[in-house]
Amino acid sequence: MTDLAVKLSGVMKSGRRKIIGPIDLEIPAGHVTAVVGPNGSGKSTLLHLMMKTIHPDGGTLEWFGQHHDRSLPVELQQHIGYVPEISIYEENSMTAEEAGAFRGYWYPKWDTAHFEELLNRFGVPRGIRLSKMSKGERRKFEISAALACRPKLLLLDEPSSGLDPFAWREMIGALRTLLAEEEITIVLCTHIVDEIRKLADYVILMRDGRNYGMVEKDALLACFQEWWIRGGQEEARRLGALETEPGLGMVKVLVNPVQAEKLAEAARIEVLRRRSIEMEEALELWIKGHLPEGLKWNRGTL
Amino acid sequence: MWIPIQINESSAEPLYHQIETQLRSMIVSGQLGEGTLLPSIRELAGSLNCSAITVRRVYQDLENEGLLRTKQGTGTFVSKVEEEQRGTYKQTLVQEALEAAIDSAIAVQYSKEELQALFLEMIEKKYKAAGKGGNAK
Repeated sequence: MTDLAVKLSGVMKSGRRKIIGPIDLEIPAGHVTAVVGPNGSGKSTLLHLMMKTIHPDGGTLEWFGQHHDRSLPVELQQHIGYVPEISIYEENSMTAEEAGAFRGYWYPKWDTAHFEELLNRFGVPRGIRLSKMSKGERRKFEISAALACRPKLLLLDEPSSGLDPFAWREMIGALRTLLAEEEITIVLCTHIVDEIRKLADYVILMRDGRNYGMVEKDALLACFQEWWIRGGQEEARRLGALETEPGLGMVKVLVNPVQAEKLAEAARIEVLRRRSIEMEEALELWIKGHLPEGLKWNRGTL
Repeated sequence: MWIPIQINESSAEPLYHQIETQLRSMIVSGQLGEGTLLPSIRELAGSLNCSAITVRRVYQDLENEGLLRTKQGTGTFVSKVEEEQRGTYKQTLVQEALEAAIDSAIAVQYSKEELQALFLEMIEKKYKAAGKGGNAK
């Protein structure tokens, strides 16, 4: 059993436009959890609730097994790193170095050497105000600063938006190094499928302010396969195919391999080829509601 | 640190099974010798684009089989493989490959006699080629 970094139980927040929750969620410590979902599904609000920069209207939260009724204690806040979707305006007139020094006061574990190294690695321009930087450059500063505080909990809201592909690779590399070196929990809101493939251990689907489950990444990929079978619609139906595409004397079907394997053997249906599906396809099927019930909330063999 | 494991992402074989099979084969064949320190769970997960949960599961399985041992705080090492285990493993490996070949023959309605003849022919050809390769060195 793994410890939990953050636990949300029935958390609700009503905004002017929409209602978030109730959300029940367990973020395992020491792992990377990717949060996916359409625009406006409540991903950013979820991060704010985890930092208590938005107070919930109902439900309870726990951080590393502790309740905090009012705002989060300073010691905990100092262990949370955050890359917001939109940079904070207070740092606009500072240079990267100045903003770094400013954050260094706040974070006791601030690592100036690491910060410098990251700024160089990403090629963040020096001596100019953050507000004068391009979107991507500002993003690189934000990521460097969030990693330099050596957080225990790192919350990333669309960290790669605006990054060029080279900087994106550097970011993936920097996050992997961090994961290998220390016990860190990462929550990553993203639309980038490759980011999930390269970083995530678990995937959470958010939609209309609700959490639609949490699945181990590799289990998500394994729950469907594309098969080519001999026959037609009748054979496809017998395998419980979700989608079918007819071909010459054969048909392409999308199946749950565990069930379909038994069905194919019983009905003597010949399977000509099997193929694993891609992350995009798996997420799409999940959004459409096709994910096997048993898989959701199953945190694997921890 | 890295180890030569190759994932076939479109293969229908589950990811953890692919990793486990390849790692087991490297250990039992002696390609990874006794006492070799394996990459950390995070390192391996990162290089294979799979979750840390999958790698942990593989390491645990192989530890239960006695092929790996974990020292708290230092990492996961390759254990000693007994000669007997190595022999059994070799046989299993070859047997599985032959079974797959026979299945392919059955699928295209190749007769038993045809297969036997072809098999003997292939053995002659392959072992001759392997013998030549050996002499050239």
